[in-house]
Amino acid sequence: MSEKRSKDPGEVFRELVTEWERGFDQLANSLMGTENFSRSMNQMQDVQMAVRGAFREFMTDNLTNANMPTRDDVVQIAQSLKSLEKRMERIETLLQGMTSNSDPEAIPPRGGPPRTKRPPSETGAEANP
Amino acid sequence: MSNSNQQAKEDLGTRVQAMVKRAIQRNVKGLEFISAPKAPVGLTPKDIIYKRGTLRLYHYHPLSHEVYRVPVLLVMATTNKAFVFDLAPGQSMVEYLLKSGFDVFVIDWEPPTIGERGLTLEDYTQDFIPACVDKVNQTTGEPDLSIIGYCAGGMLSTIYAATHTDGPLKNLVCLTTPINFHAMGLTQVWQDKRYFDVDRLVDTLGIIPADIVTQGFEMQRPAQRIAGQLRVWEQMWNDEFVKSFRAFERWGNETLPLPGEYMREMTKELLWDNKLYKGELRAGGKVANLANIEVPVLSVVAEHDHLVPFEASKPLLELVGSDDKEEILLNGGHVSLIAGPNAIRRMWPRLNAWLSERSV
Repeated sequence: MSEKRSKDPGEVFRELVTEWERGFDQLANSLMGTENFSRSMNQMQDVQMAVRGAFREFMTDNLTNANMPTRDDVVQIAQSLKSLEKRMERIETLLQGMTSNSDPEAIPPRGGPPRTKRPPSETGAEANP
Repeated sequence: MSNSNQQAKEDLGTRVQAMVKRAIQRNVKGLEFISAPKAPVGLTPKDIIYKRGTLRLYHYHPLSHEVYRVPVLLVMATTNKAFVFDLAPGQSMVEYLLKSGFDVFVIDWEPPTIGERGLTLEDYTQDFIPACVDKVNQTTGEPDLSIIGYCAGGMLSTIYAATHTDGPLKNLVCLTTPINFHAMGLTQVWQDKRYFDVDRLVDTLGIIPADIVTQGFEMQRPAQRIAGQLRVWEQMWNDEFVKSFRAFERWGNETLPLPGEYMREMTKELLWDNKLYKGELRAGGKVANLANIEVPVLSVVAEHDHLVPFEASKPLLELVGSDDKEEILLNGGHVSLIAGPNAIRRMWPRLNAWLSERSV
């Protein structure tokens, strides 16, 4: 009688899934890695973009006619806010610089553990935590 | 009855018992799995020390009594959230580095707003990264730092390093970083300049939605999602496996949109003209020639990386001007290189060993 143990069904299942995944991916990659696939995929994308573009124009016209802000208007406002934010930040940095210049001892690097650790090759300590 | 027959019967009994137990657990836990909220991720305590638009800079709380002098800044790819560095306690690269004695900072990205559609490679490499580098130096009081970049984060870090040769960079680690974009496999085929109209895409959308980015990744391994679901169903009894699966799944689902101009530049300058590889890429009025990089460089690449094939990362070491440079080729894929059991066992200890020697 054979002493060989049969495999755990879970392990068999996992191996089957892995095999299937590998085979399917290889097949799909060989089909999708062609110039023809690339051309078709990009043609489809172009059509989608054309539809989206037309819809956007339609919406923009309608919003303009209804005297409502369009997406571009909202983006412009957001950009203005962003540039204000940048200016504020610059002013803040300048102010911080002025404060630290007036008191050179007030540049406190963040507290925390001492930065004195040596590599395990020098200390003989265990490399991994 | 012989002893061996008796033993075989006992073995069979034990296995049937285990199978029944797992089947019951699978059903009970399967229900929990379906109704469970998002997996908690990124739990290692941290402060956001800087944020601007899409950019976030985290500083993690120390987990050792003594740290190396040189702080570490991790730079995430622009397409994904940085919590892949900090998936869960015990499965977190950040936690591992902290416990190994590093002072860790991470650059993360939020989805860019429509107002940020004009962000370019120059913004990332000449503004965001330098601003974070300054913050790290300011926070630690140290004059230098190490940078670890993952995927496109590695590419941005490399461009930063090549254009800031007199900067505070002490060590550069690139994890599966694309350099030769003509070796980018399917991405190269699908974005063939004869068929792919990047201008139309960017001009129409402004921001490239996350689903287009995700589609680009998933189409390279179309069976991966279904195979993942089958595996998790079979392993539903195994809490650790399910926890890890859910964290990875969340990460995959939270792919980020991309600023349109960045996408346009990546496509034209890198994928089509391969300018980083040729040493012709310009950022901030400077040429990002990799030969300018003279700091110690570690390149970690994965043998079975389908997104950034080995051939695409390989030229990094050939092109940098550093004397101290090393490449580590590890078994694994694009994501398993940095997170999960494979990373814990293989990559993190090698990274720790290399970096600790150069962080004093």
